[in-house]
Amino acid sequence: MQTAPPRQAPGIVSASVRVFELSLGEMLWSRRTIFMGLVVGLPVVLALVVRLFDLAGATGVRVNNMAVDGPAVFGLIIWAFFLRFSIPVLGVFYGTSLIADEVEDKTITYLFSRPISRQAVLFGKYLAYMACTVLVVLPSIVLVWFLVIPMGGSLGGNFIDLVKDLAIVAIGLAVYGAVFAFVGAKFKRPLLVGLVFVFGWEQVVLALPGYMKQLSVAYYLQGLVPHAMPTDSFASMVQAISRETPALGTSLLTMGLIEGAVLYYAARIVANREYVLEQ
Amino acid sequence: MSPIHDQSYRRYNGTRLPVGRNWGVIARHGIRSMVEKRPFLALMLFAWIPFIVRLVQLYIVANYPQAGAIIAVNPAMFREFLDQQGVFVFFTTIYVGAGLIAADRRANALQIYLAKPLLRMEYIGGKLLVLVSFLLAVTLLPALLLILMQVAFSGTLEFVRNNVFVIPAVVLACFVQVIVASFTMLALSALSKSTRYVSLLYTGAIFFTEALFNTLRVITGSTRVAWISITANMQQVIDAMFRMPARYETPVLVSALVLLALVALSISVLERRVKGVEVVS
Repeated sequence: MQTAPPRQAPGIVSASVRVFELSLGEMLWSRRTIFMGLVVGLPVVLALVVRLFDLAGATGVRVNNMAVDGPAVFGLIIWAFFLRFSIPVLGVFYGTSLIADEVEDKTITYLFSRPISRQAVLFGKYLAYMACTVLVVLPSIVLVWFLVIPMGGSLGGNFIDLVKDLAIVAIGLAVYGAVFAFVGAKFKRPLLVGLVFVFGWEQVVLALPGYMKQLSVAYYLQGLVPHAMPTDSFASMVQAISRETPALGTSLLTMGLIEGAVLYYAARIVANREYVLEQ
Repeated sequence: MSPIHDQSYRRYNGTRLPVGRNWGVIARHGIRSMVEKRPFLALMLFAWIPFIVRLVQLYIVANYPQAGAIIAVNPAMFREFLDQQGVFVFFTTIYVGAGLIAADRRANALQIYLAKPLLRMEYIGGKLLVLVSFLLAVTLLPALLLILMQVAFSGTLEFVRNNVFVIPAVVLACFVQVIVASFTMLALSALSKSTRYVSLLYTGAIFFTEALFNTLRVITGSTRVAWISITANMQQVIDAMFRMPARYETPVLVSALVLLALVALSISVLERRVKGVEVVS
């Protein structure tokens, strides 16, 4: 009688895909999606209110006492809500919970008992985070775009800018998610560390002159904004706020390096750490 | 043979405090467990750095009066100090407050607590006191010490005499900051079993309302919508206490009413969520 050859453990890619499939459903159909819906839903409500005011013939939107059109309002919403608030907050919330949730629920041992590499657990969960946030955030941006752009702008003429904005948001989610996945793997209280980074460190260094701001993600993310804003007036306003912005290539390269490096270190931590679960 | 322990009903033989005085036990335990954490102590020490900076400012102005032209010691300085402490109020609230009730709910300890001779009010009061104590330690305590040090460095009561309102303003402002933050956090903590989710909800409540206000401010070109933001409402009310011109167009009364409504809502949430028995249909 011939015995079947022992089945080989899946490689890191197929293992990551399996973890991704498992985690995506958990992430999408959980209560935290309500929080995410709230975070990305309010800008849509705001855009709707602005549009209704516009349709009712109210005085146009004014920025610094200058009448601005729909594309500029869209740029403002992307800047104030998504880039400065939603992306870092979603990154902190989801990124830190990739591993910390399993530790807190004491279920990480079940994942680690499967014949897959530990790194695959992190990569799979990170991919699920990306899919989950992108699936919720990007449609809300498109809704805001449809609501606001017709106020003095054309949908066709601004489509390329929308694509650029979507790309910036996706890049922001990827980099912040990776940074906080590392924080979640490394620290015992990852959320507090993450909040201190986003609302403490990044806010302070961005206001400081010199090179300190280069030690933040927000600096490079802001560097992409002037290249994607729908109107020159808004782009120049953003540049005035952030005083100096890095070049497009520098921003993209640095964010790519940050993402790669922190994901690599996060995976190493997860692979080497001995998780002692509190009883 | 191992002894067989009697696990049937036994009367409580310990000392029983009169009803209404058990909150101290919860508060004491909560404060002690936080003080034992080294990262928390580091946060507390960090929160006192602005105090040291202001102390140096007071010393310089007291010894070199001409420096007062640049770094003046006036009621606005104390107002600014409280504004700066807002960051530490935020982080302390999250560190201390997020798990206060959520951790008990997660461990199903709420039922055990409330099965003892402990009123719901006492439980909530005890938990609230933990947060309030630490928040006052980063706001009221350094602010009052600063006033004291100002008198000590200058060797005269002239500043206090000329600005009689400063001490009550500092006390009231600190209590506004602390009460709003504590009740909001405690209510959010009662809503979930996850401390991380609670922290995020609190962050959202503070920063999202701020982001919403700032966007509307730019779009409408007016600050009449400041009542949307929790932080802006606090700033508005505290500015009035310090007799400073209001920084937003929202009437101070409206801001005060919004803060009161927030506290009332939090109390209502606590009343509904902190129960000994959960009836599940």
